[in-house]
Amino acid sequence: MTRFNELLKHAVLLFGALIVIVPFYQMVSYSLKSPAEIERGIGGFAGSQALMTDEQCVGRNTPDRSDVETARTRFPGQDDSHVLGQLLEEVRAECQVRPAVFNYTSAFSEAPLLCYLLNGVIVTLSIFVIQVVVALPAAYALSKLRFWGREAVFGMVLFCLLIPVHAIALPIYVGLAKLGLINTYAALVVPWTISVFGIFLMRQFFMTVPDDLVDAARMDGMGELAIVWRVMLPTAVPALMAFAIFSVVAHWNDYFWPRMVVTGDRSLFTPPLGLREFKADIDGSLYGPMMATATVIVTPLIAAFLLAQRKFIEGITLSGMK
Amino acid sequence: MAEVKITDLRKSFGDTQILKGIELKVADGEFVSLVGPSGCGKSTLLRIIAGLEQESAGSISIGTEPVSGIRAADRNLSMVFQSYALYPHLTVAENIAVPLRMRQMTRWQRLPLAGGLMPGAKRREQEIAAAVAQAAETLEIGALLDRKPGELSGGQRQRVALGRALVRAPAAFLLDEPLSNLDAKLRVHTRTEIAELHRELGATFIYVTHDQVEAMTMSDRIAVMMGGEILQCAPPQKVYADPDDLRVAEFIGSPKINVLPAEADAMGRLSVLGRDLPIAVRPGRQTLQIGLRPETLHLARGDAKIVGRVVHLEHLGSELFAQVAVEGLQGRLVLRAAPAQAAALQIGSEAGLDFDPASALVFDAAGMRVREILTAPAKSLAQAV
Ligand SMILES: Nc1ncnc2c1ncn2[C@@H]1O[C@H](COP(=O)(O)OP(=O)(O)OP(=O)(O)O)[C@@H](O)[C@H]1O
Ligand SMILES: [Mg+2]
Repeated sequence: MTRFNELLKHAVLLFGALIVIVPFYQMVSYSLKSPAEIERGIGGFAGSQALMTDEQCVGRNTPDRSDVETARTRFPGQDDSHVLGQLLEEVRAECQVRPAVFNYTSAFSEAPLLCYLLNGVIVTLSIFVIQVVVALPAAYALSKLRFWGREAVFGMVLFCLLIPVHAIALPIYVGLAKLGLINTYAALVVPWTISVFGIFLMRQFFMTVPDDLVDAARMDGMGELAIVWRVMLPTAVPALMAFAIFSVVAHWNDYFWPRMVVTGDRSLFTPPLGLREFKADIDGSLYGPMMATATVIVTPLIAAFLLAQRKFIEGITLSGMK
Repeated sequence: MAEVKITDLRKSFGDTQILKGIELKVADGEFVSLVGPSGCGKSTLLRIIAGLEQESAGSISIGTEPVSGIRAADRNLSMVFQSYALYPHLTVAENIAVPLRMRQMTRWQRLPLAGGLMPGAKRREQEIAAAVAQAAETLEIGALLDRKPGELSGGQRQRVALGRALVRAPAAFLLDEPLSNLDAKLRVHTRTEIAELHRELGATFIYVTHDQVEAMTMSDRIAVMMGGEILQCAPPQKVYADPDDLRVAEFIGSPKINVLPAEADAMGRLSVLGRDLPIAVRPGRQTLQIGLRPETLHLARGDAKIVGRVVHLEHLGSELFAQVAVEGLQGRLVLRAAPAQAAALQIGSEAGLDFDPASALVFDAAGMRVREILTAPAKSLAQAV
């Protein structure tokens, strides 16, 4: 009976894991396959990796009149159309690539993906750093300082948690537009710098830090700001990591806000905007390169969190204080 | 080093008065214990002295300077907390160095990496490291300097907390029950160490505890606090032998002092449980209480003043405590006897108790000590009146 229960549990969990994993699997799989394989749904995970012709490469290198003129010596006694045919054959042969290579190279060459990734890093890191700079002192004040109206301020923080961002997007957009900040990094960063969620999360964590620790720091000669950065910040690393996951994932993957405030200037595109470059147009959908782009976009996140995982679990226990 | 003077200090949290007019003067280099039951306001008083809590009224001066309104960081005091409060992310050496780094290095010298390049930073760092090593040696924690607080035992953490306080030479040391988290053996050991440290440093110590043994063994003077007031502040022997207040007499001393109801007749002559005593107070009929320490009671050889039944015995090896139930008394009397007398004290047997009337501590109905005592044979007293 218990055996059956165990099996059932695992079956349910496996099913859940599958639902989460399948889209990722699909994404990575598509990023490796040739368009033909994607269209017909064959080739398993990695496809056959048979050589395919890169039509765009062919398009770029199509021989013209001058090529024919210079090549005539190589094909003595043949007429122009024949020479042209031969040259085209050569070009096609040169443009043979493996599908995986094709997908990833076009991900980086069709759109300035590196630039987008860099933008993503700049924007998410700026947002996170400023959020921390704002949230830590605020959370410290709300949890450890006694001042008139503290509960009211905390009530307001809770209230702000309930406001959906999309509801206030338009007023913020208008405000930024009036300030002439549309199409700048500032427009991507500034609206997110005050994170009430961050304040709330850190405040809840600081409540668990013993008051004696703060008092000890005061006796040791620290001012209030020194206490925030020298005592509270290091003890709050596990909570900060949790907040970092929320913040970085949300802003790295955000499509809505960059789409609103970055209009046209491709040098400010963040990675999710980069995906749009591959949306279907006249030559049909380029699913392969598109999925390769998506894979490239999510990889830094996954790598970062695998690296941070250890730190996350270890944390710094507060046990040293008692 | 400096004296600490507290004048008419009051503190309320909302409507509840926690401190009700504290007067205390701690001389330069003196070791004063604040002792009292849980919740009597000891920590609150210490925190106000430290500047961590705001007083409602009254004043405090450290040295000659009044310190009201001065931040805790600027009062030049060191404090050891009940919960140690070590920085969990710093090693033992870094923990001990914090007060020095914060006070002796400039903001720029403290910067994580660039700070080392600032002029004078290198020398400062070396001085601080030397001071830390010195403090660690005094407390015998030299081997632990590279560990984090989480990897230490309670006793070791307590030493580190002491080290963090000792590394500076502040105006005064404030200690809030630093031994309460230790086991009994370690507590006895560390108690001696702190007392010796005080003698060595000659610094002003204010030591909070609810353990009267700690207070008795370590201090120059004990301030007994109860209900937000200091009832008596005197050297340990005096607090024990000559208490001002029944509550002090009851709090200090283990086992507790025996309290017996007493009557004074119109001429002030005292009687206990219907037996006249050869002592008298000011004339006037009143009810009183007399306190008898367990060691002042002894088994009667002839005529017993008090007769009761032995209900419980506690052998401690070097001495023997007998609990005696007496008819007409609510509590039991505790008597200290020598182990040799064990044969005379059997559970259930009758015991006749006697005491020297001169050693009885007399308190009035409100618990205040009555010091005007006339000692004379009852007859001559009667003649005198
Ligand atoms: N911040 C506060 N707000 C309200 N009441 C408080 C506050 N701090 C202390 N008290 C009250 O003041 C009284 C004295 O507290 P305090 O901590 O000084 O006691 P204590 O003598 O140190 O006791 P213990 O021996 O248990 O440490 C207690 O009744 C406590 O409830
Ligand atoms: Mg206390």
